Amino acid sequence: MFKKLVIAMAVVSSAQGSYAATLQDVENSFYPYKNGMPTAPGISVGMTIDQNNWQVAKDVLDPAMLEQVKQGNYTIKVGETDSFDLHPNYIAATQDRLGKVKLGNETGQIEGADAGRPFPEEPSMSDPRAGEKLAWNFKYGYNWGDSAAIYPFYWKFRDMESGKLERTLKFNFHFLNFTHRVNQEPKPAIEPNPSELFRGTYVQVLEPFDVKDTQLLIHRFEDDAKRDNAYLYLGFQRRVRRLSTGQVTDAFLGSDIMIEDFEGYNGRISDMKWTYKGTRNMLLPFYKHNEMPLATDMPAESDGYQFVDYTGKGACFPNVTWQLRKVYEVEAEPVDPNHPISKRIHYMDAQTFTIPRTSVYDRKGDLWKIWTIGQAHPDYHLPKNKGSGVSIDDAFTMIDVQANHCTTGQFKGQVDPELSPPSKFSVQNMRSSGR
Amino acid sequence: MSKKITTTLTQLAFGAGTALGVGVTATQSIAEEANWSGYVENATYHRDGVGISKFRNTAQAEFVKPIDSVGRWHNVTLNGTFRATYDGVYDINENEFGKNATEPYLGSNWHPEGSATGGPFLTAGVPFPCENDPSLCRNLDDYMDHKERDARFPEFNDELDFIRELYLDATTDLSNGDQLSVRVGKQQVVWGKTDLFRVLDVINPVDYSRHNIYDELEDIRIPQWMLNVEWRMGPTKTFDDSNLSMVWNFDKFRPNNLGTCGQSYRILDAGCFFSSYMRLDTLPGAAFPGGANPYGTAVPIIHDVKRPDWELGNTQLGLKWEGVYGDSTFSLNGLVYRQQLPSLHFRPLAPGIPAPAADGVFDIHFPWVRMIGGSVDYYSQTMDAVWRLETTYSNGEELPRDTNGHKRTDMLRYVIGFDKNQLIPALNPNRAFLISAQVFGQHILEHESDMPDFEDNWIATLLFKGWWQNDRISPQIILAHDIRAGATAVAPSVEWIPDDHWKITLGANIKFGGDETFPWSVNGNQPETYEPLARFTNGPIGVANQEDEVQLTVRYSF
Repeated sequence: MFKKLVIAMAVVSSAQGSYAATLQDVENSFYPYKNGMPTAPGISVGMTIDQNNWQVAKDVLDPAMLEQVKQGNYTIKVGETDSFDLHPNYIAATQDRLGKVKLGNETGQIEGADAGRPFPEEPSMSDPRAGEKLAWNFKYGYNWGDSAAIYPFYWKFRDMESGKLERTLKFNFHFLNFTHRVNQEPKPAIEPNPSELFRGTYVQVLEPFDVKDTQLLIHRFEDDAKRDNAYLYLGFQRRVRRLSTGQVTDAFLGSDIMIEDFEGYNGRISDMKWTYKGTRNMLLPFYKHNEMPLATDMPAESDGYQFVDYTGKGACFPNVTWQLRKVYEVEAEPVDPNHPISKRIHYMDAQTFTIPRTSVYDRKGDLWKIWTIGQAHPDYHLPKNKGSGVSIDDAFTMIDVQANHCTTGQFKGQVDPELSPPSKFSVQNMRSSGR
Repeated sequence: MSKKITTTLTQLAFGAGTALGVGVTATQSIAEEANWSGYVENATYHRDGVGISKFRNTAQAEFVKPIDSVGRWHNVTLNGTFRATYDGVYDINENEFGKNATEPYLGSNWHPEGSATGGPFLTAGVPFPCENDPSLCRNLDDYMDHKERDARFPEFNDELDFIRELYLDATTDLSNGDQLSVRVGKQQVVWGKTDLFRVLDVINPVDYSRHNIYDELEDIRIPQWMLNVEWRMGPTKTFDDSNLSMVWNFDKFRPNNLGTCGQSYRILDAGCFFSSYMRLDTLPGAAFPGGANPYGTAVPIIHDVKRPDWELGNTQLGLKWEGVYGDSTFSLNGLVYRQQLPSLHFRPLAPGIPAPAADGVFDIHFPWVRMIGGSVDYYSQTMDAVWRLETTYSNGEELPRDTNGHKRTDMLRYVIGFDKNQLIPALNPNRAFLISAQVFGQHILEHESDMPDFEDNWIATLLFKGWWQNDRISPQIILAHDIRAGATAVAPSVEWIPDDHWKITLGANIKFGGDETFPWSVNGNQPETYEPLARFTNGPIGVANQEDEVQLTVRYSF
């Protein structure tokens, strides 16, 4: 192990700063709580933070969410911090690639990253590209593992002021990694893959009737500079159309969510200027799904699964506990001066590299949207998710604070390769599945 | 009726069993409940100067029933769509539409009276011939033999069109990892990438009597009993996706429904032309060689419709190779099918005599057509737009000629399309607009000067669509311009979705044009006239120039 450590340190290029990742870095990155759970003054497990005591959370809640609590729109209950251990294969893949991964000269270029976490070492404020490395860790994270499905997935559009439910969309979402596979065969990549696809996302809209039978297929490439190929099947047209995908700031199906917002950030690394702002202990929505007060007003699932419930103003906030986590704060500013946002502030979970909290600012610099994705521990969710090592995206809310409107998402996330075989991610499958 | 339903379901079971290689029995285990959805809808249209032109009430129900794996077949589902329609326009506006809706002269709904109508020449069309004229009804049997009741309730016919679709889907995995997928039953098979126009999308015939060319093709394609087999090879070393499919249309041939005279939509006014007569019997004997008029009675325009019977040799077959290569998707297609528009074969009084037979001017035929074609689309990153091209070359189509009956000619058709999603912040900062433009080209490769259709013609379309209020309000405008005919259609509309069940669409459909004449008519080479052939030169947009409408559709879905 010592020899590996020396070799790893010797190989890393100085263009990336003077630090080379080590096995200890890997250990610290994936098990940040092995020596003790994070703490913060005034924050204790079981306490409730609301408009009467919001000040106690001013150092552990991001400013946008703190303001919501201060206004009485949301009450946060603090839960115990849990270690969300990722799959050992993903960790092993990270170890195997120590010293082999480096950034290219331009933002969006990377070499040697074909599996695992590209940059497990602690970010440094003195590293001008630290933010970009954290972005790559997110992009090549173990979000949904090698393949998974959200099956089904309910989106609700709400008037936040009145709480009126305007629209409910029911989907199935499927995800597949063509490359960067660590667990499901074939590893590390599905072949043949002539266009070097990295990832596929396949969406079927099930309800309501006016959008039923809509399907969307997105192919993302290994080359970060290349835009996604996207295909849309509309039931009433009975044919697949190619989509122009440059409009990543387009609202998806009329929701409050831009295509670029998915999973925290769904765009090219090269589209943003990434800045690492620091590491802190913060409250993030991580929880054990089966121990939450779940929704009783949702359509029944045959296996008895219940979805996360919503609460607070307009029923725009997930009724889940939040826990103290080690967090990297990363600011992303669009390179395109015509982009409708001026920046996103991402609060990345250091252990899982999911992005459970993002604040979005408009062109004028005013807060525009609050984007929250609840993370469920896989061992306290569906039985099939146990041991998957995937932090399950389990509930989301996108609150447009300027329009006083929100879109919420209730997930039934399933890490099950049978639900997302490669054949599902082909254009022909869209035509054949179409009705 | 019940016997026909039983026969239909037996056909389906037989077809499915044959395709799957297993017997489908009533005891087959069913894994999940059927998932039902559907809607009820009223479409009320008001036509300028005419009044209500449509009062169509529709109920449609769709289901998908997953079935357990059957042998080595998986993803087995039974799918169906049922539709029932009542169009009350024949009760509400019976003076304008229906069996009593006589017109003053042929084509009065789109052009001024000319010299070829009235007198010894073309009469007005007989509305609903099978309600008013037994002889014409016999002549148009099995083609335009609708009674008024059939127009009120169009799905309840001998072909059981209330079963719009009913098919079985199944997939099996091949030993090399490829998949074989089968869809058998009454279905729509859609080829191509084009909106509004049918270039490759010609497998199913179309019902133009619902709303001319303006309804969604999904609602006006006439489903057929077919077997569609796909061999899905998936990604290869070269292609990201590669698939080969075969479609066998084993149904009895059905032509396009052009609309019967007396219906509110009859494309090219063909229905009234086919149900009109030539009053050659009123000509004096001196007008004929020998001094005697050979015509004892009025001569019907149509003598007979030669609709092919069902036999194996009359079934239709298509092959397609489709795939993805880099940033492009493509297809290569081949189809042997029957022309779905009528070909008018002139019937002379005697061989070599340029006068029509006394018992009917034309027989309608549906000749065989062989078509090859292809399509490709390409996403341009630089333009952030999608370009698409679809083209066909056909052999065997027959087009009319003025004095020489008809001619078989090769045809070249294509569509070039451009699609872009574009944010226009001044109008809507959050939601991109859809801009879609197309140019449809048609070239008659063996054109003759006496053909009433332009040798080269183009139609351009433009769609501009936006969304507001979380996609619950969507205005759009569609423009279509027939370049050689000089005809234009403008269709603005707004769609409002108040909640998950209701959808309300208010729109207009305004047509300009219909001024083209043709330098030949039944009364000889008179100065240019409209009847009967200028209907082809004016095209479906021009002939509908007096069908400006305001349209309201209210739908409740479940």
